[in-house]
Amino acid sequence: MTVLADLSAWLDATWLSWAMSGGYPWLWPACETLHFMGLALLVGSVGVLDLRMMGMARALPVASVQKLMPWAVAGFVVNLVTGALFFIGEPQQYVANIAFLMKILFIVLAGVNVGVFYLTGLHRRIERMGPDGEAPLGAKIVAATSLVLWIGVVYWGRMLPFIGNAF
Amino acid sequence: MDWLIWLESLPLSVWVRESGSLWSYPTVLFLHTVGLAFAVGMSAVISLRVLGAAREMPPPALEPFYRVLWIGFWVNAASGVALLIADATTKLTNPVFLVKMICVGLAMGSMVAIRRRLGAAASGTNPGANRITALAWFSLVAWSGAILAGRLMAYIGPVSGVDLS
Repeated sequence: MTVLADLSAWLDATWLSWAMSGGYPWLWPACETLHFMGLALLVGSVGVLDLRMMGMARALPVASVQKLMPWAVAGFVVNLVTGALFFIGEPQQYVANIAFLMKILFIVLAGVNVGVFYLTGLHRRIERMGPDGEAPLGAKIVAATSLVLWIGVVYWGRMLPFIGNAF
Repeated sequence: MDWLIWLESLPLSVWVRESGSLWSYPTVLFLHTVGLAFAVGMSAVISLRVLGAAREMPPPALEPFYRVLWIGFWVNAASGVALLIADATTKLTNPVFLVKMICVGLAMGSMVAIRRRLGAAASGTNPGANRITALAWFSLVAWSGAILAGRLMAYIGPVSGVDLS
């Protein structure tokens, strides 16, 4: 843990950390607002694809919904940047926080799930599906896993101040 | 403001605010965030499509996601009431809360108006297309305002002690 403690102390001494943790009082709430907007964009666009694969809105061709994914990536990047800024601002409240560890784990698992979707060729089978097509069972499992994991990410993020010690 | 104190003294309010259980305040707050993700998320996807994103998606085929949007909305109405009565004396006297409610009302109103015009969005030349484009921008701005106001309730005006996040 000493590496984390060193990293935390080093980050804490940076200008960016000072700016985030009160140097500019509007910066933290501004990043929180962006973090919520990014969350909505990510869960919204991934959610529409997942729900379609699970059998909702069958009139929607799955290949067309995949065109939404750049928006999901945009939401993810916004949250990665604002999330990194929270971490830099108050590193000591995250490094030893079990909820933060779980949040990162769930994000990694969501990434693995996306990897499974592309590496097993499920995405290609999905693309060939027209309107009213039914996704193969594998795709339905990936979709349900994705929804559970992203809701889990939101859960652990919300639990940061309550199970861990962050605010 | 006796009625605000009365609201705060209701058993549900006391439980949400003071039980210290993970199932009270933290879980209500989590539900409020998941509801936001789905209500704003579905609205954002529908509005973005109206504005030209993922053009291959036929707008009328997005209709079923309005059910998800409404579930998110009602989850947040319920969790929002629980959070509100738990800290009635601060949250209900905070003008930022009124701004948030106006933004949510305008956002939901524009989403309902978009729903009735999803057919028009499918054909770009339709006379209804301009109006639905304006409504889509409006809903995105109103939701952003609602999120911003919701965040600022923890910073501006009377701030409740329990809201650390």
